[in-house]
Amino acid sequence: MANHSSRRFLFTVFVLLIFIIGASYLHLTNGVFDMSIVDVLKTLLRVDSNVNYDLVIFEFRLPRIVIAGLVGVGLSIAGVVLQGITRNGLADPGILGINAGAGAAVVIFMFFFQVRLVDADIHSWLSILMMPVFGFAGGAVAAALIFIFAMKNRYLDMQRLILTGIAINSGFGALSMYLSLKMNEKDYESAAVWMAGSIYNANWIFIVSMLPWVIILGIYLYKKAYLLDYFQLEEGSITSLGIEVEKEKIKLLLASVGLVSACVSVSGSIGFIGLMAPHIAKQLVGIRHQYVLPVSALIGATLLIIADFIGKTVFAPAELAVGIVVSIIGIPYFLYLLVKAKE
Amino acid sequence: MTVWNSISQFDANNIDHQIIRTSRIPRAAAVILVGAFLAVAGAVMQGITRNYLASPSLMGVNDGSAFVITIALVFFPGLPNYQMILLSMVGSCIGAGLVFGFGSIIRNGLSPVRLAIIGTVIGTFLSSIATAIAMYFQVSQTVSSWYNTKVHMVDADMLLLSIPFGLLGLFLAILAARAITISSLGEDIAVGLGQKTKAIRLISMFAVVCLTGTAVALVGKIAFVGLVIPHITRFIVGVDYRYIIPCSAVLGAFFLSLCDLIGRYVNFPYETPIGVVTALIGVPFFLFLIRKFGGEQRG
Repeated sequence: MANHSSRRFLFTVFVLLIFIIGASYLHLTNGVFDMSIVDVLKTLLRVDSNVNYDLVIFEFRLPRIVIAGLVGVGLSIAGVVLQGITRNGLADPGILGINAGAGAAVVIFMFFFQVRLVDADIHSWLSILMMPVFGFAGGAVAAALIFIFAMKNRYLDMQRLILTGIAINSGFGALSMYLSLKMNEKDYESAAVWMAGSIYNANWIFIVSMLPWVIILGIYLYKKAYLLDYFQLEEGSITSLGIEVEKEKIKLLLASVGLVSACVSVSGSIGFIGLMAPHIAKQLVGIRHQYVLPVSALIGATLLIIADFIGKTVFAPAELAVGIVVSIIGIPYFLYLLVKAKE
Repeated sequence: MTVWNSISQFDANNIDHQIIRTSRIPRAAAVILVGAFLAVAGAVMQGITRNYLASPSLMGVNDGSAFVITIALVFFPGLPNYQMILLSMVGSCIGAGLVFGFGSIIRNGLSPVRLAIIGTVIGTFLSSIATAIAMYFQVSQTVSSWYNTKVHMVDADMLLLSIPFGLLGLFLAILAARAITISSLGEDIAVGLGQKTKAIRLISMFAVVCLTGTAVALVGKIAFVGLVIPHITRFIVGVDYRYIIPCSAVLGAFFLSLCDLIGRYVNFPYETPIGVVTALIGVPFFLFLIRKFGGEQRG
């Protein structure tokens, strides 16, 4: 049995990798400036390179794909962990308000240090590297608030959790709005573009700033994924297995808040990826988190690259923020889950 | 004094008079009306659905209006004002229909929490689609002014036109108040007392649609007024909707004027959107409600 499920897991991973490559291929070749696959390959392999192609691929398209992929990975892993900890299939960093908290913190940071995300240059690399840290503080505050309000008699009420998330979302949203309106015009514009959940100002510096978070926390959470299996059991039986439930939960929660913050500080708030990916993954490879976690990371990356591709091409030359594309796809899925769910 | 003069002896050359007549008075009137409309709509919804979280903004009614207005702006630009209001009412209907429709398909979907979740999600969905459409036809600037409340640019004609629609809604709500009180006791009791529950629901939903549709057409989406005010009113005057509805109207008007005033002065000379102010007051209140009632059904 174990053999069968691990084969299935490897097969799924393989198929998903092909999907990611396919989506990246579409993303690389299509756009305002169409290129053939031969040109793309030539540019990537550095065979008689052309300045224009270099510019389009290395400065615009490749960073964008990488960021879409990384954000997808980060948000999906965070979604898996949150759904595991809260034992609630509807948990998602966006719905719970962690995105909004991290977002508000980043806006505060932009406001006080006047960082511009849109025309970021090499001089501001330090502040860009600092942004995920600020986002982390905000996300942690949001997570703490959510859990304080949702906790009753040391028991986490699911209904309350999501409602509190809705409240926290609008609160932090209002705060971000208020601060961004106090900024000067240029800062405001960059903040507004960023808040809508867009990645078209992608840039290698952003990748540098979020990559360590995604790698370190991703590996950490993967190592801890077995705990999530235990959390599906009754509270009493986990304790009898000798696991310090509360402590582990807090560690996992903080790690996923870190992931979310790194993603939010680069791409703004993108919802519903952390909701969809884990569910699809569970359909594909069953409920063992050791499998679910990497598979949903890959699914998240695929979804986000495709969503970004849609946002880039369907409305060309205008760009539709990837966050909006994702919610148009994600919300029907969310409703479907609600309809399907049995009490 | 200047204010009074601008009304009694209007002087077209006096700049103060012009400002008061074309900008300040419409704004103040709009804020008062919208506050009253939204608060009453919230009170009626809470009474009829026996759901303590029911309110135009949480149940997708606002979003439905804004969605239809966006589509209208894109496909039929330059519609006359009264059609705008009618369309906005149609939108309210669509939003409410979608949310309550899903609520009744889903098991336990009409419970306060489920309905709030569905409402929020559908609201996000509608506004995402509206944004996408607006982007595609490159009218996002006009549209965004509809989404972010625009109390500072109220159209005087629109204001005059919206009064009859809104008053119709208020009138219906007051007429239905007695029946709503009975409904808020529970379906069984209402039927037992010989009430035509279906008819009452229809009338009160129509009142809600009139009120919210007009409010959104006038100034755009404003959240939390319809949630907070009915609770405060119920705290003051008790559970009888014959008192709750008129008092909500007055309190809502007062609350929204206050928020508008705060919005104008907190970051002077820039304006803070009124939605931000209502959210800063409404969110803590919302959290308090969740804390107090949790997932239970409550009128």
